[in-house]
Amino acid sequence: MKNYSFLPLGVLALGLLLSGCAGESTSDTSTEGAEDSTQISFIHWRGEDKAVLDDIITQFEDKNPDISVEMTIYPSEQYQATGQRLLQDGSTGDVFTSFPGAQFEAIASAGLFEDLNGEDFVSNFDEELISVGQKDEAQLALPYQLVFNMPVYNKGMFDELGLEVPKSWTEFQAVADTLLENGITPIAFPGADIGPNQFMNSMMMNNAPDEDVFEKLQNGEESLTNEWWVKTLEDFQLLEEKGYIQADSLGTSQDSAMAMVANEEAAMLATGSYHMSALLDLNPDLELDLMAPITVEESEAVYEGINTATFMLAVNSQSEKKEQAKEFITFLSQPEIASHYANETGQHLTVNDVEYESEVLQNTAYWIDERKTRFQPRFLITNAQIEAAVLSSIENVLGGADPMTAAEEAQQLVDENRE
Amino acid sequence: MFFRRFSLVIYALLILIPLLIVVLTSMKTIQETFRNPLGLPEAGLQFENYTAIFQEQTMAGYFMNSTIVTLFSVSLTLFFASLIAYGIIRLNNWIGNFLFILFTLGMMVPAQVSMIPLYSLMLDLNLTNSLVGLILVNISTTMPIAVFILTGFMKTLPKELFEASTIDGAGNWKIYTKVAIPLSLPSLSATAIFLFVMHWNDLLYPLLFITDNAYKTLPLALLEFQGEYSTNYPMLFTGVIIASAPMVIAYIFLQRYFVAGMTAGAVKG
Amino acid sequence: MKISKSIYLFFLPGLLLYAIFFIYPTVSALFYSFTDWDGLSSSFQFVGIDNYERAFTGDTIFRKTIGNNLKFMLVVVVFQTFVALAFALVVLKNTKTTIFLRALYFFPTILSSVSVAFIWSFIYDPSLGILNQTLELVGLGSLAQNWLGNADIAIYSLAVTQIWFHAGQMLIIFVAGLQSIPDELYEVAKIEGATKWQTFRNVTWPLLAPSATIVIAYTTIQSFKAFDLVFAMTGGGPNNSTEIVATYIFDIAFRSYQFGYASAISVIFMIIIATITFLQFKALRSDRISY
Repeated sequence: MKNYSFLPLGVLALGLLLSGCAGESTSDTSTEGAEDSTQISFIHWRGEDKAVLDDIITQFEDKNPDISVEMTIYPSEQYQATGQRLLQDGSTGDVFTSFPGAQFEAIASAGLFEDLNGEDFVSNFDEELISVGQKDEAQLALPYQLVFNMPVYNKGMFDELGLEVPKSWTEFQAVADTLLENGITPIAFPGADIGPNQFMNSMMMNNAPDEDVFEKLQNGEESLTNEWWVKTLEDFQLLEEKGYIQADSLGTSQDSAMAMVANEEAAMLATGSYHMSALLDLNPDLELDLMAPITVEESEAVYEGINTATFMLAVNSQSEKKEQAKEFITFLSQPEIASHYANETGQHLTVNDVEYESEVLQNTAYWIDERKTRFQPRFLITNAQIEAAVLSSIENVLGGADPMTAAEEAQQLVDENRE
Repeated sequence: MFFRRFSLVIYALLILIPLLIVVLTSMKTIQETFRNPLGLPEAGLQFENYTAIFQEQTMAGYFMNSTIVTLFSVSLTLFFASLIAYGIIRLNNWIGNFLFILFTLGMMVPAQVSMIPLYSLMLDLNLTNSLVGLILVNISTTMPIAVFILTGFMKTLPKELFEASTIDGAGNWKIYTKVAIPLSLPSLSATAIFLFVMHWNDLLYPLLFITDNAYKTLPLALLEFQGEYSTNYPMLFTGVIIASAPMVIAYIFLQRYFVAGMTAGAVKG
Repeated sequence: MKISKSIYLFFLPGLLLYAIFFIYPTVSALFYSFTDWDGLSSSFQFVGIDNYERAFTGDTIFRKTIGNNLKFMLVVVVFQTFVALAFALVVLKNTKTTIFLRALYFFPTILSSVSVAFIWSFIYDPSLGILNQTLELVGLGSLAQNWLGNADIAIYSLAVTQIWFHAGQMLIIFVAGLQSIPDELYEVAKIEGATKWQTFRNVTWPLLAPSATIVIAYTTIQSFKAFDLVFAMTGGGPNNSTEIVATYIFDIAFRSYQFGYASAISVIFMIIIATITFLQFKALRSDRISY
């Protein structure tokens, strides 16, 4: 039995490797775009927006025949982890997006943001909402989407049971008790994935009305063992102990939590406005609105909800095609294009003069200017280890730990990881 | 005796039931999965998820990438490692021993150790998002185990064979191709299977080096289905079945070699 | 016997790749572990042994990950070896049934870890709860658990998955080892009137030592490398209860951008693995019997 079949294969492979090494490494697989057009790369993490962005890109290329756009979408985990590395050589992400908070800081300190101050398109955005993309007088990025990271609730169910939106912690508990009596879980909480990092914002917003609290935590002026965080953990404990959130919540993923709300087994979904359209897909009869629990007395309440300006558009400072990149951002911030994007994705935007068509977007648009919301506190934690410590204290309490002990453990991690 | 049978059956069921559930779930809708996770699909055998996954995902592309990476990684690792093993046993001096130890030590190093500098190196060499880059890394990381197994085997070959050929005036290359390789076929095939399973299923390196859809391998694509379909288990399991199919088919036909390969080096190696 | 110098060319391709993509990065890791490099910037500072000091004295999570890793390893090594050996003894004789069963038990080993992670996430899912539902069905509803969401048991749930994944592979190694034991020895034991247990104790076990060494070493190394399972099933949660060293290194390097520190941890990790493997070999080392 002589079998040399793999030998030629090996030799062949070697030859291919040696000859192919040079040619294959830079990826340029786009088939679109004519020979004489400049191709820019647009990278982001919103897989669910692919269809509408493809459509917008086609329109853009029709208007600007000398530019073609190649869009690459990464899963958000991976984008968080390797996003800035992609940008470094300047060949990828002429236009890119960034999360506020830790990622924005990391990219800014690596100097990969082109300063957009003074560009015409900046005036297309709501001035109030774009400060999150500013650093040291420079406008490094322009948030495109406006998200409310606060629970979505079943308004129809509330009306049916004659419930009002609670204005204090006492009222909230009364509402939750009524729901329980009617066999409904008050809050569906996806503790296995995004629950802790989304719900912590509403839960702490009035316990710690100071917007700089996390900055102070990171430089040692504040501690998680102080009243504001211990009370937040106690509030979480109360939700758990009274059964206001479903049992075994730390094993529940966001899809299971969504299913609970869609099937009207639960009244609130502790995530954010971005889940509204998905909930309506699951159950078109739902009437939804947003509501954050007020964890203090009515008179002490400062904030009514949480907003995040995210999906921040930016130009790569290492790019050789900055002009074309800016053209694309200009296009995205046109009211009619932005409106198209908003209605297709079911998102509110930071762009001026956007027309919301869908009922959900119209009905919740009042949160943009009529309600007092604060920027998502979690994104003001710029150190990933400290953020992890804060979140783990919530998981710890939901797993049965004493709030003070959990706070102390987390504070120890904060102290270890402070720069 | 009864207890023995009973435990054999229980263990068999522990393997079979999860696999069966995977197959059944891939034929359900997501609502049905939530309603009735354990039951048979209500609509009977239906392959809508399969067609959907091929339409929505560039499954064929992921397949192609996995195939290319695995084939080249396995064949080149075998080729280079067998050259080294042959060199080591023919040299039979301190240099050979030193090299053998150098490669063997590599088996002790967890991937996480070299992962970080390797990542920077790949960026510098512009080998991220490239199948060639992935293949080169695969070859380098599995070289130690391959050298270890093949050297162990070739050491057992009678020296006289090589020496007789040398007297006949055959060069090293000729002895390697005409004597060493044909005689080492059993351990080569075992090692090939071992490497095949390892590379086909590898997640860490694609996770680190591949970000572009055009170069994703199956395990990485699968991991991302988790993000896209989160608990859409029917879709996830459809992906699992498609990604495992080649391996399962190969296993059914080449079972003996699989068993030899996955336990290579462990038994009389 | 003179051998021509051309033999040195045989080492070239493999050694070249190995040096560039394996030795160089490994040595670099050692180098970076003494710096504060973030992996992004072009410059970094030497910080002496600060990173190591931090790992040993100022990093609670790292200590926790080592603990998790050891827990996971112990459970997997003990139970997987036991299961593999117990079943190997039963399916030892070559009959149609045993050959089929061996093939079946071995089957999970060929799956990818991502696939296994998905299958077991589904089994453990609290709302779909395949496992919990099955327990209900057989009247053991009181045993239902929040398998991956309960910080006290999540790591053990992962260990069960790991055992399901690899016990068959170890079983096969044991079978091969057992089948190589000469029948005459059993004949002698029979004539001597040894009980089943005495036979196992005095014949089987000593002769099985080489395979046992391999199985335990393999299992240990595999348990340290369970990166994929943890990454895909729990991401290290809840409350870091399933974070193992491998996933922690990944987090520190790619989420917190502390390459220098991550390198230091990975060097410590390497030393721990080497030590454990070395100790196991020493403990189990027995003279191989050659026939």
